[in-house]
Amino acid sequence: MGIMPFIPKILDPVPGGKTIVNMVDYVVNWARANSLWPLTYGTSCCAIEMMSSSMARYDIARFGSEVFRDSPRQADLFIIAGTITKRMAPAVQMLWEQIPGPKYSIAMGACTISGGPFRYDNYAVVRGAEQVIPVDVFIPGCPPRPEALFHGLLKLREKIMKESSRNPWKEGALSESEERNRYKEAAAAWAELEKIKDEEMAIAREQFKSNPPENYVPYKAIRVQKETFPDIPLKENLQVGKSTESLFEIAKKYSPEIQIHTENNEILHLSVSKEQYFSLVESLKKDSEMNLDYLIDVTAVDYENHFELVAQLMSITLGHKVFIHVDLLKENVPEETKDNALLASVSSLVPLYPAAEFKEREVFEMFGIHFESHPDLRHLFLDEDFKGFPLRKDFKHPHIIPKPV
Amino acid sequence: MSTNVLLPGFREAPLDEDFEEFYINMGPQHPSTHGALRLVLRLDGEKIIEVVPHLGYIHRGMEKQAEKLNYIQYIMMSDRQDYLTAIQNNLGVCLALEKGTKIGVPERAEYIRVILAELSRIASHLVFYACFGGDLGGQTVLLYGFKEREMIHDIFEEVTGSRLTTNFFRPGGSNKDIPDTFVPRVKALLKHLESALSDYDRLLTKNIAAMDRSVGVGVLSKEDAIAYGCSGPVLRASGVSYDVRKNDPYSIYASLDFKVPVFYNGDCYDRYLIRFEEMYESIKIIKQCIDKIPSGPYRSKEKPIFKLPNGSFYAATETAKGLYGTYVVSTGGNSPYRIHTRSPSFGNLAALNTMAKGQRLSDLVTILATIDPVIPEIDR
Ligand code: SF4
Repeated sequence: MGIMPFIPKILDPVPGGKTIVNMVDYVVNWARANSLWPLTYGTSCCAIEMMSSSMARYDIARFGSEVFRDSPRQADLFIIAGTITKRMAPAVQMLWEQIPGPKYSIAMGACTISGGPFRYDNYAVVRGAEQVIPVDVFIPGCPPRPEALFHGLLKLREKIMKESSRNPWKEGALSESEERNRYKEAAAAWAELEKIKDEEMAIAREQFKSNPPENYVPYKAIRVQKETFPDIPLKENLQVGKSTESLFEIAKKYSPEIQIHTENNEILHLSVSKEQYFSLVESLKKDSEMNLDYLIDVTAVDYENHFELVAQLMSITLGHKVFIHVDLLKENVPEETKDNALLASVSSLVPLYPAAEFKEREVFEMFGIHFESHPDLRHLFLDEDFKGFPLRKDFKHPHIIPKPV
Repeated sequence: MSTNVLLPGFREAPLDEDFEEFYINMGPQHPSTHGALRLVLRLDGEKIIEVVPHLGYIHRGMEKQAEKLNYIQYIMMSDRQDYLTAIQNNLGVCLALEKGTKIGVPERAEYIRVILAELSRIASHLVFYACFGGDLGGQTVLLYGFKEREMIHDIFEEVTGSRLTTNFFRPGGSNKDIPDTFVPRVKALLKHLESALSDYDRLLTKNIAAMDRSVGVGVLSKEDAIAYGCSGPVLRASGVSYDVRKNDPYSIYASLDFKVPVFYNGDCYDRYLIRFEEMYESIKIIKQCIDKIPSGPYRSKEKPIFKLPNGSFYAATETAKGLYGTYVVSTGGNSPYRIHTRSPSFGNLAALNTMAKGQRLSDLVTILATIDPVIPEIDR
């Protein structure tokens, strides 16, 4: 076919006549647009769809982007697949800076547009990739299908093909404010148009009513049969391991004051004081009939005046579960320091269950409960300098925007 | 780096002066950390002395946000924890909510639940198979594993409307009924899967390169597996037979005939084999169910406003990764006072240091692949 059909596209009139430079531009752009090498980067759900798009069924190689590079220095396309958290944002920025220009980025998924499902009431998620790095193409979806990713890729190609020596590639700007004022203007203009349309529609409706056309039959809604569902009681689960009564009898041997926290015939919920917590768990673990050798989880709940620590234990050989609830009264501290102060303290289960190490670290950072003799009590999910304890009920964070109702 | 300075989290005593000891950072952007995991390694030459995971790069504050959502909206959050087995997470949350409200489930819904959950287990294990092969350097395996997974996702798309984030089950049944094409499609898939799996078996299981890199690597003893709270295939590859479907059955698993595969070496190769066996068992379960789906309602009576009574409720399910527990605390409102997920990958990752100690750096990639962690599920 030759190059002839493309000539009019390549040669656009410029002052001083048509030049060969445009031709070079075209070739350069063509080369750039058809072999975009993406960086292997994905944080969450969207990354799996990005992976699918490079596998057998969808085959991103058709678009020249199958060469996923593990090093940013060899890539020129950054597909931001997945949520960007505040902890991840510096890494994203660093990766972008390490990619040599000309470089392009595609923001894949609702999370990278606006924070997606995590936009409101959330302290950890960056609301949109554009606040961290410049973005060329946004792809909506949660997650977008692989086809949508390809559509984005094609759009990016179009954009690249428009570059020229007079309109060279340059790094885009970040969104100016966190709440994206520039979209508000567009939204206001849109609302204005909508209002005009509504008014016009109202007039038209009035006219229609006062002067209906002949043989007009008013529309009658058909009532869709509402599905009815039966009321079914819950099937009780099969009892596993020992019955809760006999378990309670065993537990009573070790500390007579313990009480049942909640009546339940599947799981034994025990209520125990802070002082007896460790020794009770220790003796229940050693007891051959109880044999609580597996720690499912340690978690906590924040109430007004106390925390409730819940240690979920199980016997992996016998199958029964015992949940131990400990009420930890909040210490009195001055009101100003309350938000950043550890308010309670309890002994750690790490000497009995190594599994408790990470889980207690989570409780520590989320609630501000101190664990005595924990070997490594640092923040786990949050930054070291994070202020406050997110899962407390009175937690406030400047990043949170409440969901409008 | 001076041998006497320990970075945060490291505990092993410093080695003698004449050892070449140094630290390496791996992640959060690294092709074999399966997402946003960051590891700091302390090495003596090629040998790993200690591994410290740094988590939280995809911590999205789900549990805090859930306090502002209502219960039905929270089901959507569970999709985004372990997106490879989203439908099983939906099931886990719904079981906990059903315990609270005492809503029962009609027979048809139970069958739908079990079939979809097992399909999702196969899909997740296929991703494991693909990534395991890919991490060992076999690009072909990576491509194959995703092929059959796409077929399963086609079915999911038809049934739930979404490929990945299904958001399908509700307390008392499911969101919609299954379409008429479901049964023939699943049957056709099963037929195809069996031959495909035996091909994959031939491709990797006895492959000398794969065996060299996984047999005897990353051994986790039975005691350690229990102590670190491992679950799922990682636990069962170390010789502990615990599967929530068998040992604490929910839904209709008690009435189904299936085996829980157990292996005893606890190395990477066993963790690979066990997932293969589980795929065959899942096929067996689906086969038992697919012809017996009863007609009738697919969910029980809906409440106009879904509320949980005062108290705390717990339900466990066995997802492809292991024991997935949901602990809900309610004070009577229509959103949870506190909801907490016990994610299986979290427990499994805790044993990483034990498995990797003394192995070589390249083995860490294999070990990580066989733990098969999903980081958003750990960080939540
Ligand atoms: S957009 Fe949806 S699917 Fe993608 S990362 Fe965000 S939550 Fe996950």
